[in-house]
Formats: sequence, C-alpha cells, structure tokens
Amino acid sequence: MALEPLRTQDEKPPRPAAPGKKWIRVTKAVNGIDTEVWEEVSDDTGGPQWGPREQMRLVSRAVPRVDGPDKVTGRAMYSSDMRLPGMVFARVLRSRVPCGTVQLELEAAKAIPGVLAVIALNNGNVDWLGRPIAAVAATTPEIAEDGLRAIVAQYEEQPFAVTPEQAAAENAPKVGSRGNVRTLSKNTDSSEVDDALAKAAKRVQGTWKIPVQHHACLESHGVVVDYRGGDEATVYASTQGTFTIPGDAAGALGLKPNQVTAVVEHMGGGFGSKFQLGIEGDAACRLAKLLARPVHLMLDRATEFHAAGNRSGGEHTLEAGLDEKGQIVAIKGRVTRLGGVGQGSGHPIPYIYGRDAKVFVEDRCIHTHTDSSRAMRGPGHPQASFSMEGLMDECAYASGLDLLEIRRINLPDSRRELYMRQLERCAALIGWDKHAFKNAPDLSKSELKVGIGFAIARWGGGGNGQCKVEVRVAQDGSVEVLSGTQDLGTGTRTYCASIVAEELGLELNQVRPRIGRSTFGSANASGGSTTAPSLSPSVKHAAHNARLALFEKVAPLLGVKPDELEVGLGEIHVAAKPSQKVAWKDACATLGPAGLSAQGEWQAHLASSDVGGAQAAKVQVDTRTGEIKVLEMVAVQNCGLLLNRMSVKSQLQGGMVQALSYGLFEERVIDPDLGLFLNANFEDYKIAGVREIPRMTVEFEDDPRGVIGMAEAAVIPGHSAIANAIRNACGVRIFDMPLTADKVLVGLEALRKKG
Amino acid sequence: MSDAASPPEAKSSPEPRSGSQAKPALTRRAFFKGAGVVAAGGVIGEAVSAANARAYGPATLEGTVEVELDINGAKQKVTLEPRTTLLNALRNHCNPPLTGTKLVCDRGSCGACTVHLDGRPVYSCMTLAVDTVGHKVKTIEGLSPRGELTVLQQKFCEHDGSQCGFCTPGFVMAITACLERNPAASLDEIQNACSGNLCRCGTQPQIFEAALAAGRALQAKGGK
Ligand code: FES
Ligand code: FES
Repeated sequence: MALEPLRTQDEKPPRPAAPGKKWIRVTKAVNGIDTEVWEEVSDDTGGPQWGPREQMRLVSRAVPRVDGPDKVTGRAMYSSDMRLPGMVFARVLRSRVPCGTVQLELEAAKAIPGVLAVIALNNGNVDWLGRPIAAVAATTPEIAEDGLRAIVAQYEEQPFAVTPEQAAAENAPKVGSRGNVRTLSKNTDSSEVDDALAKAAKRVQGTWKIPVQHHACLESHGVVVDYRGGDEATVYASTQGTFTIPGDAAGALGLKPNQVTAVVEHMGGGFGSKFQLGIEGDAACRLAKLLARPVHLMLDRATEFHAAGNRSGGEHTLEAGLDEKGQIVAIKGRVTRLGGVGQGSGHPIPYIYGRDAKVFVEDRCIHTHTDSSRAMRGPGHPQASFSMEGLMDECAYASGLDLLEIRRINLPDSRRELYMRQLERCAALIGWDKHAFKNAPDLSKSELKVGIGFAIARWGGGGNGQCKVEVRVAQDGSVEVLSGTQDLGTGTRTYCASIVAEELGLELNQVRPRIGRSTFGSANASGGSTTAPSLSPSVKHAAHNARLALFEKVAPLLGVKPDELEVGLGEIHVAAKPSQKVAWKDACATLGPAGLSAQGEWQAHLASSDVGGAQAAKVQVDTRTGEIKVLEMVAVQNCGLLLNRMSVKSQLQGGMVQALSYGLFEERVIDPDLGLFLNANFEDYKIAGVREIPRMTVEFEDDPRGVIGMAEAAVIPGHSAIANAIRNACGVRIFDMPLTADKVLVGLEALRKKG
Repeated sequence: MSDAASPPEAKSSPEPRSGSQAKPALTRRAFFKGAGVVAAGGVIGEAVSAANARAYGPATLEGTVEVELDINGAKQKVTLEPRTTLLNALRNHCNPPLTGTKLVCDRGSCGACTVHLDGRPVYSCMTLAVDTVGHKVKTIEGLSPRGELTVLQQKFCEHDGSQCGFCTPGFVMAITACLERNPAASLDEIQNACSGNLCRCGTQPQIFEAALAAGRALQAKGGK
C-alpha cells in the first residue's frame, strides 16, 4: 500500500462549495482504506427523498436481518463452504525466516499419493516473516498438509529486524530499499512550538506505545476458484470487495476480467484486511489453472496471523503546553507508525482536540521484516485516540480540572457543542455525577477501586458514486433488488430489501435481495464506512424509478395522471382519493412478461458525512492483584439516517467489544532473536471472549442528515476510555497497551515509592 | 495445522470439552503422530497402538477406512483417513457436505466447530471422526431439519445474534446444549456454556439476550 500521509485532520473543506455543490468527507479506497478526503458533490435535492422518518415502516426501524435464518441454521454459504465437483484443497507454506533466500525442493511433496500439484510462490527472496513461499493442492486438506511437510526448504538466512528497536538500531539489517526509518512529515521547523511550550503555564508529556493488533477474522483469507479449463471462471472469495477480485484473478488464470465472476454470498469478517485477491488467492488461481479443477484455498490460522495483515502499531511521544485555564496552547509530538514492509496507516495526531494550539508533529514510519499492515476499522484513529485521550486526562489532572471540563476547553469550536452533548449524556448514563473523582484520580488505600474514563471519535463516512443498482418487478408481482455489493455482516442485504419494500409499499419478505456477484451492478469495496452511504442512495434511486415506471402503467387503469398516484401498503392508489386503488398484484399484471427493470445511481443528497460519537467506560481495579475488570461501557453516537436500528446497534456494540479487546488483550509477539511469531493462534493471541463483555448501553442521537457510515467511529474510543478509567480508578497511567494487571501492579508500586 | 514453520507440538492437546470419556485414551495429536502418510515412517505412539489397534483394526493407520457415522439421526458411510477430524469429515466427506459447522482455529480454541456428541457439546476439530463411531453426532443442520427454526434460533434472529455469522453455528450449538440441560439457565450459566466460543464481530451482548429470551420461551413451553 503506497499511501501518502493522512490529511484527515482538515476540519474544513478547502474552499466554499460551488453553486449547486456541497462538500462531503469521504474515505478514499486505495488498496484498503486509509485516506479521508473532502469531495465536492452535487447538491441536487430533486429526485428520490427519504421522506419523513415518522412515516417510515422499515427504514430507520429495528428490522431483523433477512439472512438471519440462514446464519442460525448453517445454511448461509460462506466462500470457504463452497464444495464443487472435483474440487481439491490447497495449503500454503510460510517462510520460516524473516529475511533471506530460500531454495525449494518440491519432488518429495509431489510424490505423495493424493498430492496433485506443488508450486513455488516467489523467486526465492523472502523479506518478511511468514511470507507464503509454496503451495500444495491435494485431494484432502490433510494430504495437502503432508505435502507442505514434505517440501524441503533450504534457507540462506540473512540478519533481520522484526521489532522496531532492531530496525531503528545503528547498522540495522535493511528492510527494503527506502531506509528502515523514514520521516514522512515535511515540516522540520519546530521553533514556534518550542517557544510556545517554553512560555506555557504547565507542560504535560508522555510516550504511548501501541502494539500491533490483528484483524483476527474468524473466516480466514482465501478463495475457492472454480476453473475447469476453458475460458470462464468463478471465484468465491472471502472479500470486502466483490469487484476487487475479477481483474487480479483473470491475470492469474490467463483470462480476461469479464471472463471471471466473483461471488461473495457471505463472508466471515474482514475489518479492513480483505481487499483484492492477495498472495493466497493468486496461488489458488495458479493451481486451478494448472489442474483445470476447482481449488479451495483458505489460509490456516497460523498463516492468517503471519500473512493476512495487521493494524499498525506505533509509538507517540507527545508534549502539551497549557495556559492557566487549561487550554492547550502547543502540542509537540513524534508519531512513529509500524507498517512492516508497508507504510502503516497514518495516526492523525493531534486527534480532534487542540485545534487552536500551535502544533508540530514529526510523522515517522519504521519498517520491519514482517508483513505489511493493512487498513483496520478506523485506520489510524484508534491509535491516535489512545495517546490523545490519555494526554487530555493528564492535562486535566495537571490542571485540577474535571475530565469533561478539560475536553470542553480544548474541543474545536465547530465540534464543541456536539461532543459536549454526547459526553454529558455518556456521563449521565454511567453515573458520573455520583463519582467522587472527577478532577483527580482515586489515590486512597482501598483495595477495590472504580474509575471512569471518556473518549470521543470522529469519522467521515461519506459515500461515493460507484454503485449501480437494479430493481426488477415481475409480472407476478415479485420484486428483486440486485447489486454486486457484499454484506460483511453489516446488514447490507437487509437494507437493500427494506429500502425497496418501503418505496414500493411492500413487506420486507416480498423483496428478494440479490448481492455479492460481480455480474450485478458495480459497487464500491466495503472500507472506511463507505458502503451504506454509497449504496443506499443508489438502491433508493432504483426503487424510486421502478415506482415511477409502474405508475406510468397503472395511471390509465385509474384514469389519472401518474403524478397523482402514491403507494399504500400492497397497493397503488390516487393520492387525493385512496379508495381509488389497484392492488400490487394487479398493478404488476399490467407489465409485460419481461416485467420491469429500473436502474439506480448514487444520489449525493441522500447521503451525508461526518459522524461523531462519545464513549465512557467504568472500570474496577483490584489493587492487590492488579486485575482490571471493565464493568460498563456506554456510547452515544450520531450517524444520520439509521438504515436499520437493530444492525447499526450491533455494529456499534461490536466496535466497543473490539476496542475493549484491543485495550485489554491484543498484542502480536515476535521473538527478536529467533524471528519467530510466538502467538500466532487464538490461545496465545487472546481476543475478548464472553466472560469479558461488560454491561453495555448505546444510544443514537436524532440526526436529520442523510445516510452516513459509522462502523469505524464505533471502534475508535473504547480502549482509550478504559485506559483513562484505570488511571482514574487507581492513579496508574498505563502508557502501553494491552492494559494488563502486571502493568497496574508496577504502576502502583511506582506510586507508593513516590509517596 | 500446516504450521510448517514450527516444530511438531510436544505437549499433549486439550481434550474435547466433554462427551468422549468413554473413548480410549487417544488424543487427536497423539494419533497424528502415527497417522499421516509422511509421518507414517515414524514410530506409532505406544498408547495409540495398543488400545486402538484393537478398537479400529490393525491396518487402519495408513490409507483410508470406511466408517459408519451417525449424523443428525441418519447413518452414513464415509471413507476417510483415520486422522480426519470430525469437523473435516462433516465438511469434506459427508454427502451432502455439512458445512454449517465452521473451521476457524482447528485446534480447540474458538468453538466455531461445536457439535453435539450424544447430546453433549464437543469441538469437532478436536474429535476424530473414527472416534464417533457408535455415537450420535448432531450438527447445526440437524437442529432444524425441516427448516423451521428452534426457539433459540428464532431468538438469535429477533435479537440480532449474528453479524458476519461465522461464529453463529458454534454459539447456537453450545447454547442449545446448555438450554437442553436447563432451560432456566442464568446468564452466568449461559456464559459458561459458550465461554469457549469466540466472536470477532462483538455480537456477544445480543447472543446473551437471545439465549435468555430463548430460555424464558422454553420455560413457558414447559422446557421443550
Ligand atoms: S475450529 Fe474447533 S475450536 Fe476452533
Ligand atoms: S458474528 Fe462475526 S464472528 Fe461472530
């Protein structure tokens, strides 16, 4: 991922909007999503309208997802579930060394009965730990694994740098050719900020460390390639982007892109790591080409950890200068992001707060011999939130200010009202008014202590014009909505159906959503919370056009003009005289045998951008053991029109659980001497389980705007609020995640020594 | 499994959660040592050879065996290598393939592969298919064979107990077994029942709601 440093912090668009245009904030998809930009779009408000919310039956209500029954019965077909005639199973071999060359002896593997093909995956140069170097296809996965074990890999190992410390050391082994430590920011003059810091009434500083996190999707990366010779192939991919697959797959199969169909019926999690075909998909295509048989290649769990991306870790050294009133007047920082062989998501420091301060931030990237980081839900923001929210609380304690007051003072004017309203609501939900430690941590000697912490998030969540949607109405009254888009579990399939059903006056089960196929209308990849704001306006437009086309047919039956009609539940009637009506079935009977097909495109005025949310956490710390228990998390979020209250709530809570997991448990561990990934499994790489889920309350604000994506915002503040709550509970600031009991104990000991 | 970069595991692996107490002392990993085409050159573990040569016949550690599995109330003959896990037998050897049971970690740490063995939840990735001969296996497909949802499945739908849904079959199987034992199970008991199940989408709060709602509905119906 060659990505430029983030410029997401531009609070305002670059210039006023041209007549008939408006600005929205959009995440731009560049091989995974990393950059939010302002985009000028049409502000034409003609055409379809969402209409008054109180009149909605389905959209903005809580609707059980339409594919729920398939998911609870095991009928839902994930890409890894595809079983095809003659299908073979493939596995990949990872490089044992982080850096070096490898020579492969494949004959013994090929000789195993049941092994059908063995291929080398690269030219023998390895520059990151776990890089897939060979692939085996066999009649069963067990035999494919025998094949892997029979491959003789002779390594010529070279010195490596798998940790940032190793990579930044003098005479460190080189990672790539760009230098191990690269400064990405251009500005080198900090004198203005140094001056402001020197004059500040108070200075607060710290160095926050952020571990590398893994997406840990339960369905691993991979594909099933259905190629049996000839000039057509179908690729069942576990992907966030149906349309990111055919081009790459065609290349690997020696076909043209239009000869390859990508199918994504269901997929088991991506979180930013699943765009494009990838090494594993490429290997599967090559094996399919070789064998002219369907190939099933899903990464095993250990390889998934090694070679399927991660959220960039890093280190933030921040110093803030405050005036007497607690306002930050200067921020100086050094942000180091880890990208492996890639560049890492930018960590947007300063995050939200401190807009009026003088700011100097050095943005650096450190490369290691590990796989490239990829976008992960809210790329860069959870990292930036961790240090900035910590810094805010330290500023509060240094100034003796209430944790909410410090935020009020330092929020930018344009966002103060929004975030203070949300923070105060969170405070009310979590019992802040009864909490005794509002402007100083609890340093008492009690054993079980409870603290509260706050944090906020922002995200663009605007849409773009990539989606083309078709609505088909058949003569028998049945309705389909078609789009190539994919449903990651976000409820895409459900709102496709509910928007159409609402527009046509039908029940949800009367509309059949058909998605996840590249032969349907184009759609953007699902990253950066861009799917809902891109797709839903296009669906609405297609449904609107279908309704108008149907009105043309029905108007003569009722002896009125088409624009005198409206839909009621299961009928079309004259708006001025509802008793003058045609039942849905009879209306559709007027269509020819070909039925009716209506197209939809993006309608900028039905989407909006820019979401904000606040969260708070209540944490109990046992000062005898250091044990941290998150008792409660609350969230208040805005997000424009909620397409489905139920699935949006699930996404918000899901984000909070992921953030809790990030904060308390997750960390990739690589042995610096051996160059071994020590916890590439779910026993040693822990993610939050059912026992760790706190009491959760989420609220959505009434928000009159159009549809905005919010899934990223959900995951940004939780771990920061928890870290702040620990500090509030017992005085210990843990600067490095994960936030663990041993660090609490070390911190308590340090406090005791200080007296 | 294809952890080719690290040495074979030395420590013994955890047993399935329950349900196989009556079986010979045979763990999947121990069996692997003696099974597998490549590894067959090695020494067959003594514990394996003595007890299980008798149980499964002497010539079955290489190549394939035909066994009759009892899955979702129907007997089915499958031909597989003795090392094949129940999970892979379901997904890759049964006809039609039973892919509702998911493979996630393949080593007993996520619960996605949970099935019932004689009514008790087990990890099918930690159970050898041949070990289930003579026992009743029930998979997610067997809960609602005619398509109508069980009470728990209904409640999962009503409470949005799935996002991506990849963990869902495992949770449904684990909680079904819990509610079959005790429809009045408390939240604590429900959490205990699915404490071996991971959900990356963070759907646990809705899963708890669904489970408790199902418990209430089952009690109202008299526990059935
Ligand atoms: S796949 Fe069996 S426990 Fe994870
Ligand atoms: S719903 Fe996605 S892992 Fe549980």
